[in-house]
Amino acid sequence: MIQSFIIAKKELQLLIRDKLTATVLFALPFAMILILGLLLGEGFGQKSDDLMRISVLNLDKGLGLNNKSWAEHAIDDIVSTPNIKVEIIQGKELADELVKTGKRAAVIIFNPDFSERVNECSFLSKGVNPFHRDGIYLEKLQVSIIKDNKQPATSAIIESVCQIALLRIVMPWMIGKAFEKLGDPEFIELLGKEVSLPIPPSLRLLIPKDKIPLGELLELASGKDIDLAKNYREKVGVGIQTALTGQFKNYNLTGKSWASLTRSINNPETVKTLTTFQNEDGTGILKRGAIRYQILVPSFTVMFAFSLILISGWIFVAEKRQGTFNRLLSTPVRTSSILMGKFLPTIIISLLQIFFLLGLGKLLLGLKIGLSTWSLTDWMIALIILPFATSFCVAASSLFIGILSKNETQLALLSSVPVCLFALIGGCIFPWEMMPDNAKTLAFLTPQGWALDAFREIMPSSFDTTTDFQLIWKSSLVLSIMGFILLSITWVTLGKIRFGNS
Amino acid sequence: MTQVHSVILKIDGVTKLHGQFRALNSISLTINRGEIFGLLGPNGAGKSTLLSILAGSSKPCSGIATFDGTQIQPSNQTLRSRIGLVPQDFAFYEDLTAKENLLFFGQLFGLRGTFLTNKVNEILQIIGLDDGKAHQYSKHFSGGMKRRLNLGIALVHSPDVLMLDEPTVGVDPQSRNRIFEAIKTINALGTTVIYTTHYMEEAESLCNRIAILDHGEIIACDTLKNLLALTQTTVKFSIIEDDQSKEEILIRSIPALKPNILPGSYSLTTHTNPTPDIINLLVNEKIQIINLQMDSPNLEKVFLSLTGRHLRD
Ligand SMILES: Nc1ncnc2c1ncn2[C@@H]1O[C@H](COP(=O)(O)OP(=O)(O)OP(=O)(O)O)[C@@H](O)[C@H]1O
Ligand SMILES: [Mg+2]
Repeated sequence: MIQSFIIAKKELQLLIRDKLTATVLFALPFAMILILGLLLGEGFGQKSDDLMRISVLNLDKGLGLNNKSWAEHAIDDIVSTPNIKVEIIQGKELADELVKTGKRAAVIIFNPDFSERVNECSFLSKGVNPFHRDGIYLEKLQVSIIKDNKQPATSAIIESVCQIALLRIVMPWMIGKAFEKLGDPEFIELLGKEVSLPIPPSLRLLIPKDKIPLGELLELASGKDIDLAKNYREKVGVGIQTALTGQFKNYNLTGKSWASLTRSINNPETVKTLTTFQNEDGTGILKRGAIRYQILVPSFTVMFAFSLILISGWIFVAEKRQGTFNRLLSTPVRTSSILMGKFLPTIIISLLQIFFLLGLGKLLLGLKIGLSTWSLTDWMIALIILPFATSFCVAASSLFIGILSKNETQLALLSSVPVCLFALIGGCIFPWEMMPDNAKTLAFLTPQGWALDAFREIMPSSFDTTTDFQLIWKSSLVLSIMGFILLSITWVTLGKIRFGNS
Repeated sequence: MTQVHSVILKIDGVTKLHGQFRALNSISLTINRGEIFGLLGPNGAGKSTLLSILAGSSKPCSGIATFDGTQIQPSNQTLRSRIGLVPQDFAFYEDLTAKENLLFFGQLFGLRGTFLTNKVNEILQIIGLDDGKAHQYSKHFSGGMKRRLNLGIALVHSPDVLMLDEPTVGVDPQSRNRIFEAIKTINALGTTVIYTTHYMEEAESLCNRIAILDHGEIIACDTLKNLLALTQTTVKFSIIEDDQSKEEILIRSIPALKPNILPGSYSLTTHTNPTPDIINLLVNEKIQIINLQMDSPNLEKVFLSLTGRHLRD
């Protein structure tokens, strides 16, 4: 066993002295993750929902209809619009920042007085009239929209969505209020003054006029009884309202909301998507948006781990050809120790590479590893068992390919299968989500598929709240078995080379 | 009894096939303890193949090889530390220094601690890499230095038998002398040496006994003197021939002497070198000599006479 360590130490020493290889082993995978991360952009790794996102900041302090603030009504309205989702932004600074950095084209802000202003909206002369030729005066309602000037088209769409929503809020509210006014004694008094009825000749004896204002007529009818007069006035009001309701049967003029005004039934198929703003930047130094790295880092970790097959295998084949290997075989060191001596460095390098990628991913990219609910055992399974099983399989594969290949060309050809093809099938190059339905079934024919499945489990996306440790165990077991089989074949083959006829 | 003990390696009817090709054909040899045994043969004769069987890194197809009475087999691990093979090709780690290479292989043979460092320093001295060169990466070594390091690695575990497979290929005479000195030093310390070469001069100057290998067969195996005796030496000389009596004296004394076409010139071909006898005779008879040239025997001629071909084609 000591002999294995002596050989392993020498192998590592050689590798470290080969600065280019050492750099390639560690820097290249990380550079790839970074470059692809930058290229792929924000949406990568998220299930696309094809919904237009409207970002809203709700500062509204007042109350509107049904004890809800008008802002909430407006948000409800926008959410109920097909193909639109609403994202609630927490705070003015964040809203400014998101627009300034171009992450959001525009943010709609309902300022603290919004409900109060809507409440004041009225067709009455003393009320707030929010309308103008093209829509609604946002400033009159204390609504503001901050826009990114570099995204004029998107912000224009967002603004018009806002305009329509406000129209649908303010219009029914104003109509309903106005309609209520029809029953108002004040209105009837006004009406009584304005509307004069002609007096038929037969009655001119009683009222010696051609015309009489409605108000006077009602007073006359009540026989100067004030209460009765009021009662008559109310009846007229209700009468008018009823008449109008009858006339405009399709509308509920007192509804005060768009839905009841238009008597529309909400389309049950409209999925309401209301979310709060999620910081997808990640917490890392580079703040590059962590979601995509939750997929890229495991994929590349697995892919580069298995591409060690080529590098380690290459070193092994090169040594076989250099004569040092025969010299190694001519020492009294046991075959198993020689094999271990070649095996251990690859495991060590593979483990280092995995931890290097995960560590740098966490530090620089804000990669999320594990869940806060994990116990120490869970962490050990995730960060020791799985990386070790993966590295075991990688090291065994590299020796297997190395012992089968007579020269570097053969090795390059042979290893392209596990390194490239299996990486593709295993889902390291294109995530399973992007591949045909049964791609994942095929993936489990490859070690990469198993490893990736488990590695993605330890780097959960923001939606994951649990970890399938059984899956991690299963993957680790499968990887170990694969490694064990390959290692056994290699051991037997090496024994034949050493003690056989050649 | 002593005779039996002095044999360290013995091969008996060893045949090795590479596919259909018969690289070694029923070879038998004995190598004595403490000698420098030469294995001389042209390219492709089967020298490396024979060494690999002797070193236990490959199996013969038939026949048996024994080391001190024990059968040499790849699976016989204990013999490995008693044999040191210097392969024909460089076999060391170019990204390690000379010293690191020696330490590494020493460790694989189970050497540790100060014993190992002392041993390594001793070898560095023997192979002449003991100055600053010991700490240079061996990839920066000259061909001669690489050859010496290649040799040194086979010495680190103090083998009983050192086998060298053409250890002087591509080195200048100075480096070759160093290698020879090293081999002689090792041999003087009691190590048996098997020296493989296709340079007959090397075998002549270094080896006690020499086997000549050709097409996988041993065509001769003996001491240098006996081998040289297999071929003949021709001496040609001319005298001032002023009267007929001198020729009569010469022919009477050396019956094998042949007169040439030119008057007064003769030639003599024998298995042993006849020059001293001829000069003695000429001095005694007061015959004046004009010139004498000797075509001395060498292994090249031995090979030529045995195979009809030159050692180097
Ligand atoms: N692995 C092999 N497969 C097929 N043929 C081989 C193999 N090894 C050696 N041979 C053949 O066996 C013959 C003897 O080879 P060997 O290497 O023993 O010769 P050698 O005397 O060492 O020659 P050189 O002086 O060139 O080193 C050669 O003709 C060679 O082509
Ligand atoms: Mg050879």
